[in-house]
Amino acid sequence: MFKRSAMVLLASISLGAAAADDAKVKALLKQADDYRLAIASGRVDTEVRSFKGDTLDKTRLYAVYLKPGRRSLVLFRTASERGQKMLMLGDDYWLMMPASQRPLRITAMQKLLGEASTGDIATMTWSEDYDGSVSGEETIDGQACLKLDLVGQRKGVSYPRIVLYLAKKDRHPVQAELYVASDKLAKLARFRMGEVGGRRQVTVMTLVDHLQKERSTEVHYLSRTDKSLSDDYFNPAFLVRADLPQ
Amino acid sequence: MPESPYRQRRLLGSVVALMIGCMSQQARAEEDASAAFGWTTRVIAEARDARVGSAFSAGLPLTGFGRDRFRVEQELRGRSGPVSLLLIATESGQEGNKPAGRLVAHEAYADLDIGGERFSVGKKVLSGDVAYGFRPIDVLQRESRLQLAPTSLEGIPMLSWDNFSTDGAWSLVIANPGHQRRGVAREDGSVALKLYRHEGMADIHGVLRHSRRLGVELGGAVSVVPGEALELHASLLQQRRGERLVPLADGAGGAQLLNADAALAVETPANPRKALVGGTWTTEAGYSLLGEVWWDGTAPDAADWQRLYRQSAQRAAMLGLPGVPAAAVAGASAASLRIFDQGNLLRRGVLARLAWSDSASGWSASLDLLGSLNDGGRTLTAAVAWQGERLRFDAGLRRYGGPGDSAFGLLPDRTAAFVGLSLAY
Repeated sequence: MFKRSAMVLLASISLGAAAADDAKVKALLKQADDYRLAIASGRVDTEVRSFKGDTLDKTRLYAVYLKPGRRSLVLFRTASERGQKMLMLGDDYWLMMPASQRPLRITAMQKLLGEASTGDIATMTWSEDYDGSVSGEETIDGQACLKLDLVGQRKGVSYPRIVLYLAKKDRHPVQAELYVASDKLAKLARFRMGEVGGRRQVTVMTLVDHLQKERSTEVHYLSRTDKSLSDDYFNPAFLVRADLPQ
Repeated sequence: MPESPYRQRRLLGSVVALMIGCMSQQARAEEDASAAFGWTTRVIAEARDARVGSAFSAGLPLTGFGRDRFRVEQELRGRSGPVSLLLIATESGQEGNKPAGRLVAHEAYADLDIGGERFSVGKKVLSGDVAYGFRPIDVLQRESRLQLAPTSLEGIPMLSWDNFSTDGAWSLVIANPGHQRRGVAREDGSVALKLYRHEGMADIHGVLRHSRRLGVELGGAVSVVPGEALELHASLLQQRRGERLVPLADGAGGAQLLNADAALAVETPANPRKALVGGTWTTEAGYSLLGEVWWDGTAPDAADWQRLYRQSAQRAAMLGLPGVPAAAVAGASAASLRIFDQGNLLRRGVLARLAWSDSASGWSASLDLLGSLNDGGRTLTAAVAWQGERLRFDAGLRRYGGPGDSAFGLLPDRTAAFVGLSLAY
């Protein structure tokens, strides 16, 4: 009887500890997210600079509209891509080409292979998509960091596994190792902080490609505004209409 | 029809005026986020290798078949407020003809929000389906698919009332308002109801259209994404009436064979169906494999192509016979080539497409095998493209093959190729 009670107690303690750990990780991710987005819905203007070695290869401009419920709409603004749109509703994705009048339903893999991997710019939060544990502490570039092992909670995430390093001091993201479905390290992300509107925010995310040598990408967050779109704009059928803010 | 030098100068003037307007608009766009225009210049060179001994040889000089050599396009695309524009000025060259120019508004329409209801009015491209190689429910635009170096689609006059909910939408579309029945189906007046619903992993599309020519057409399509790498799709159309061009009936006499007006007949099959199933598999390494099979109850069947083969041979054999004017043979032969103008030539088609792309380097390549399950004809197309910051390069090579009495075996071309460069501003 005593043995059984002790086992139940131990199990309860361990479940309670796991739940507390889970809540702690969620809280850490939420804090880290606030450095990347800081608004529940709005528009983020992004410039993506692709490098071949140290040479700037391409520059791309995007406007990303975000809504709660893992909804995002990416408008391609560079001359060679103007008119393209990508809509992401949870794990479902659509691509609209300017010459077409019906949005193409695309797979997560096709989204990942797209230009500049638009998933990298349209996904601005970790707390809704990932869960995991704090697996230790490490020093990255002289900063004491918490190391988080994260696993995607949804099938459509671009990177099913992430190892994330958050500054111990204020929980801002410092580095992330992004792994694709085959568990290969695809990209190493570094985060540069700056002052935006009096707030400390991520201003640049640098992605070093590990699958393609000599390739890297800088994602510059040019502006974040609370300019929101109505729900209609996040309907795939709406993509054929041109009355979207550019 | 070749354009006069005066008309070409006027076109050039219009293009320059548009460019100036576009640039000033672009400057204003810095302040007005609702205005955005882009300019693209495209240069495309084409070459063809004619089939030696084609039974259509006598008629070819009377057609534009296989004679496109180049085109230079200046494209203005964008919008200002609710108005969207796609203007293309084209200078094209055909073998044996002087270059010709034209300026066409491919799209010019307004998206309006009136009293909470959404409308679109103007000239707009209305093509669409979930499929790639053949699109059964593309009943409004009737786009020809799988062209080697396609020109931009030209929209059709339309008025639509659009309604959007969280997971769905419907549109009531009046296409070519005021038209009844015109020379070609896409210019007919029609009314259509389009439905859309997003249900979990599936996109469901429906269309109901009525036109005087074809009566009621009812279609549905679905695209499903059951996994991270796999997409499956299907599309089905049931028509009250169909329409297709077929060769003269068997047993035609010499006079009929030489009558250009009678070289082809319009058949109107009752209750034809069009159906397609397919899917795409994409890998992490950037490869994708697309496969589709389809049935088109309005496409010519193997017997039609065999009949065309026999009649073309009969016409060719009449050349040089006493009392047979060469012009009549050429005219009838040229007229019979219009059978290839139909959007889809295959009653039962199969398409396999292997593609690769690398967004980091900008390179992509594809290999398409299109086959007829009816007559054994086939085409093999290889294409490569590179997309840079503003510059894009495209090149493609297509080879037609199969039995001489198959659709692709009958084509006067044996090989076609193109190279294109475009620059976006």
